[in-house]
Amino acid sequence: MTPLLLLAALAAPPDLVGPWRAALALEGGSLPFMMIMDTSGGELRGRLCNANSCDAFSAIMLQGDSVTFEMADYAAVIRATWSGDSLVGNYSNVGNRGPRVIPFHAARGSWAAAPTPAGLDGTWDAVFVSGGRTSPRVLVFQDANNGMQGTIVSSTGDYGVFSGHGTADSFALAHFDGSFVYLVTGSLDGDTLRGAFHAGLRTRTPFTAVRSTGKPHLREPTSLTQADTTAPFAFSFPEASGGLVSSSDPRFRDKVVLVDIFGTWCPTCHGAAPVLVQLWNDYHERGLEVVGLAYEVSGDTAIDGALVRRYREKFAIPFPLLLAGVNLVEETAATLPQLRGFTSYPTSVFIGRDGRVRRVYAGFHGPVTGAMHDRQVREYRNILERLLEE
Amino acid sequence: MPRFITVLAALVVAAPASLLAQGSTVAAERSAWTAWLASAPTSPYLAVAQQPIGPGITLGSDSADVPLDGVTLHRLTASGTVSLAGSTGRRALPRGRPVQLGRYVLVAGGPAGRAVVTAFDTSRARSTPAFYDIDPTVSFIGRLQPPDTASTTRLLAPDGVEVEASLAGTVAVPVGDSTVRLTVMRIPDPVSGEATLEIYFRDLTNGQGSYPAGRFVELIPQADGRYRLDFNRARNPFCAYSSAYACPVPWRGNALPVALEAGERYVPVK
Repeated sequence: MTPLLLLAALAAPPDLVGPWRAALALEGGSLPFMMIMDTSGGELRGRLCNANSCDAFSAIMLQGDSVTFEMADYAAVIRATWSGDSLVGNYSNVGNRGPRVIPFHAARGSWAAAPTPAGLDGTWDAVFVSGGRTSPRVLVFQDANNGMQGTIVSSTGDYGVFSGHGTADSFALAHFDGSFVYLVTGSLDGDTLRGAFHAGLRTRTPFTAVRSTGKPHLREPTSLTQADTTAPFAFSFPEASGGLVSSSDPRFRDKVVLVDIFGTWCPTCHGAAPVLVQLWNDYHERGLEVVGLAYEVSGDTAIDGALVRRYREKFAIPFPLLLAGVNLVEETAATLPQLRGFTSYPTSVFIGRDGRVRRVYAGFHGPVTGAMHDRQVREYRNILERLLEE
Repeated sequence: MPRFITVLAALVVAAPASLLAQGSTVAAERSAWTAWLASAPTSPYLAVAQQPIGPGITLGSDSADVPLDGVTLHRLTASGTVSLAGSTGRRALPRGRPVQLGRYVLVAGGPAGRAVVTAFDTSRARSTPAFYDIDPTVSFIGRLQPPDTASTTRLLAPDGVEVEASLAGTVAVPVGDSTVRLTVMRIPDPVSGEATLEIYFRDLTNGQGSYPAGRFVELIPQADGRYRLDFNRARNPFCAYSSAYACPVPWRGNALPVALEAGERYVPVK
C-alpha cells in the first residue's frame, strides 16, 4: 500500500464499517449486491458479495466525502459520495472501446432475504434469443440461507452465483463481481417463464423457458471439443513458480493425467478448482496426476505468475500450474493443436496411462447448479476409476 | 377526485427527477470518457497508425510499413494468432490486449484473416473532447422494429476495426410532426463477447460543430423491452481523434434532417 493510501485508510472514520446494501441502476432493472466493510489492523477493507460469494476490493480510498472502491484486477472502480447512511455515485470499468459507466447507490444494512417462490423453484429449460439466433440455457433457482439464489447454465458452464428476490410469479437475480454485470429478470406467463438477461448497461437478451423435463437441453459437454488420439497428448509450458513442465516428464509416465485448462479470471474455474483438488487427494496415490494450464489476461509472465500463485494459495492446489498463454480461445487452440473445437474455460482433458486423450469435458457446472454439478463430479470419478484400472 | 390529483402530482414530481438522474448519468459518462482519453495508453488521441496485417507487415525503421521512432525492425504476422518478431525474439500479440514496444503500445484486432494493428505513441500530445450541453428533450424511449429478414454485413466499428454486424432493426425518431426511421446494427465486441445496438447517423450539425462523417449512439435496454435513444450520448468515431483510424462510411439512409445540437462536438486535432 502506498503511503497516501495508508494515510487514507488510517484516517477512515469508523462508521463506514459494516454491511451496505448496494445496487447498480441498470435501466433494465436494479442489480443488487452487498458491500461489507471492516477494519483490520486499523486499515479499512471491503468485500463485494453476491450471496455468500465475496471478492475483496483491491483498495478503498477516502478523500473528504468521496470514496473510491478499486477492483484493480478488472480495471474497474466504484466512485461515490458518502453522506451518512448513503453512498451515491457510479461504477465504471474500461473496455477496449473506452470506459463504461453505470449509476451506483448503497445504503446501510442488508437486503431482505426472501425465499424462492414455489412456482419458480427448480430447473428451467430456456431459449435465449439474440440477433435472430437462439441458444439453449438452463436456469436454476433454489433457496439459500440468504434468500433466493440461482444461476444460468450454458453448454459450457454456469455464469456464477446469482442472488436476488422473487415474488409469486416473477423474479430478479443478479451477479456482479466487479467485472461481470449480469441481471436476469422474468415472470410467469401460464407455464412459460418470459424474461430478459442483461449483460452490462447495453446488452439485453430476451428468453422464454419451460420447466425442465429431464431430457437433455444443453449440448453434451463431451461433444464440444475433440482430441487427436493418434498420438500422446503433448504440452510443455513453464510452471508459475519457474521451471518447464512437459507431458514427457517422468512424473506423467504411465499415469492417468487430468489436464485442467483454466484461467484465474474465470469464475467457473474457481468453482471447479476445489473439485480437482479433491480428486487429486482421492486418486493421486492410485496413479492420478493433475496439471493446470493457465491462460491469463496479460500475457506478461510476472503479472500472470503472481495471479496463478495467488490462485494456488486460495485453493491449496497441490499439483503444478503452468503458464500456458493468454485467454483468447483462438490463442489457446494454437498452443494445444491436438484439440479441435476448443470453446471454453475450464476444459478438462482426461488422459489414459498410454498418454492418449480419452475424454474432453468442455466447461464445468459449479456447485450452484446443484444436480448438474453432482452429475458432472460423478462422471469425473467414473472416468478416473476406469482409467486408473487400466 | 383528490386521489387523481395526488397521482398527477406524483407524476409531475417524478418526471423531472428521472430527467435529472439521466442528466447526471450522462455527465458521469462524459467525465469518465474525458478522463480515459486523457490518461489511457490506448487513448485514441495517441493512435499513430492503424493497418491491416495481411500476410505480414514491418514495424520500426523509417522504411518499415509502420515507422516507429527508436524501435528496431520488427515483423508482425497473423496466422490464426498475431505475433511480433524482433531481434530479441518472438511474442504473441493477443487480440485486444495492449503490448508495449518502446514508447509505443500495439493492439491487434479484427476478425481472423483480416487482423489489423493499431499503434499508439504514448509521447503524443492529447486533445480534449467537447460536448453540447445536455438536452433532456433529445432522449427518447421507444421500440426497436425488427427487420423483415435477418442479414449481416461487415462494417467498421467506432474504433475503425472491421466487425461482422447484424441488422437489428429500426427505431423511429420524432422530427417535427413526423418521424424518421434510423437503422440499428448489432455490433459485436470480439474481446468481451458482448454486442451493442448502435446507430451511426448524420444530422445537419455534421461539419458545422459535430464530426463531418457522422456520430454513433447506442440503444439502452429498458425493463419493458423498449430502448432508450439518448442523443446526448452521441459519440464521435475514433477517426475524429486521430487520422490514423479508418473512418466508418456513413450508413445509408441514417440522416436526420435537423441540426441535433446534442452529444459530442468535434474539436479538430492539431
